[in-house]
Amino acid sequence: MPLNIDWQQILLHLLNFVILAGGLYFLLYKPVKDFMAQREQQYKEIDESARKDREEAEKLRKAAQERLDAVEDEIVQMRSKASDEIEAEKQRQFAEARAEARRILETAGKTAELRSKKALADSNEELRALAMQAVQKLIINDGNALDRFLDAAERETPHE
Amino acid sequence: MKQHRKGLLVWLVIVAVLLVLSITVGPPSGPHEDVKIAMRDAVLHDVNRVSLFGLKDVNPALISAMMVSAILLVAALLIRLLVIPKFKPVPGKFQLVLETVVGTLDNMALVREPGKCSFIGAYVFAAGVYIFFGTLFELFGVQAVATNGHPIALSAPLSDVNAAICMGCMSYLVILGGGVVHAGMHGVKATLKEFSLPISMSFRLFGALLSGLLVTELVYHYIALSYVLPVLVGVMFTLLHALVQAYVLTMLVGMYYHEVSEKPESAPARPKKHESR
Repeated sequence: MPLNIDWQQILLHLLNFVILAGGLYFLLYKPVKDFMAQREQQYKEIDESARKDREEAEKLRKAAQERLDAVEDEIVQMRSKASDEIEAEKQRQFAEARAEARRILETAGKTAELRSKKALADSNEELRALAMQAVQKLIINDGNALDRFLDAAERETPHE
Repeated sequence: MKQHRKGLLVWLVIVAVLLVLSITVGPPSGPHEDVKIAMRDAVLHDVNRVSLFGLKDVNPALISAMMVSAILLVAALLIRLLVIPKFKPVPGKFQLVLETVVGTLDNMALVREPGKCSFIGAYVFAAGVYIFFGTLFELFGVQAVATNGHPIALSAPLSDVNAAICMGCMSYLVILGGGVVHAGMHGVKATLKEFSLPISMSFRLFGALLSGLLVTELVYHYIALSYVLPVLVGVMFTLLHALVQAYVLTMLVGMYYHEVSEKPESAPARPKKHESR
């Protein structure tokens, strides 16, 4: 053959290369590729996990924000309701106090009137009793009292 | 500073002694091989042949190929047993080198699914590693005894035309196989169109490796050229064309494999011709 081409040696080279290729595949190529793929997969999983965690955190944040907003609304409503209730209670208490005051005043007025009337009656009675006593005393001490009284009355009254 | 000068002086003395010795000692006694014969033998391997386990006389490149394969397999086994189990998610220096080699050759193969092991990826990896380390093998000048009694330095496996033909034809068969598996008859047609591919691949490898070998052979043949020049020719050129040849073959295989394994796009439906009244 030209150039010393030998088919047997070509086949021997082929056999040699096939053995080498198989050995390199199982000993070097596959384990290194598997390791690289495994590491890539691991990083992908970490990335995926981080992405999921981020999404979960975002969801939680949104839920918390919604709850916070709801709580704030609730607080505003409760504050408004409490304020209304306080106002109503205040009005009720004012009304009650006013009614009580009116009732006290009325009672006091009536009591005062009664006492005044009673005092007047008592004083009249007392004056009457005193007058009677004075009259009796005069009558007892001086039997002509009426005449003298009349005389005195005449003297004090100027005649026209 | 004083020690520095002393070291420099010792080095210069050693260089001078070696220079004088290399000039005065002269060539070894015995039959001297003519450069023309050496060159012819480097191409044809018809003079210096090596016995393969006493079974057959073969070209020295076949022994080189077997030695390269054995060294690579032992190294791979050691790496598999000692290094790969200690791989870390953040790679160290050696792990980084291994991952870069595998990743780069995988990229050269244009692997469709980068995460998975593929046939073309494995083939391109093996071919790239074989060509690179096989070419570097000639750098070590491993000695063997030819059947005619001459001591010879084993050459790179692919500087033998048989090894180059094997590599070229096998690459072509891999491309053809990719075409059949992925694109069926279209792939076969696309591969057969490139009928010159095995010849061009084989002889590109053979020519490139042989030219390196011949230049190196020429340089080493004359003692006057044995100073300084081998550093450039022997080391730099060998490293460079090991890298270039590994790159060229793997890139071509990956490219052609990808090309022939692409499924044909369905032809757009022809618009119906409206018959004119």
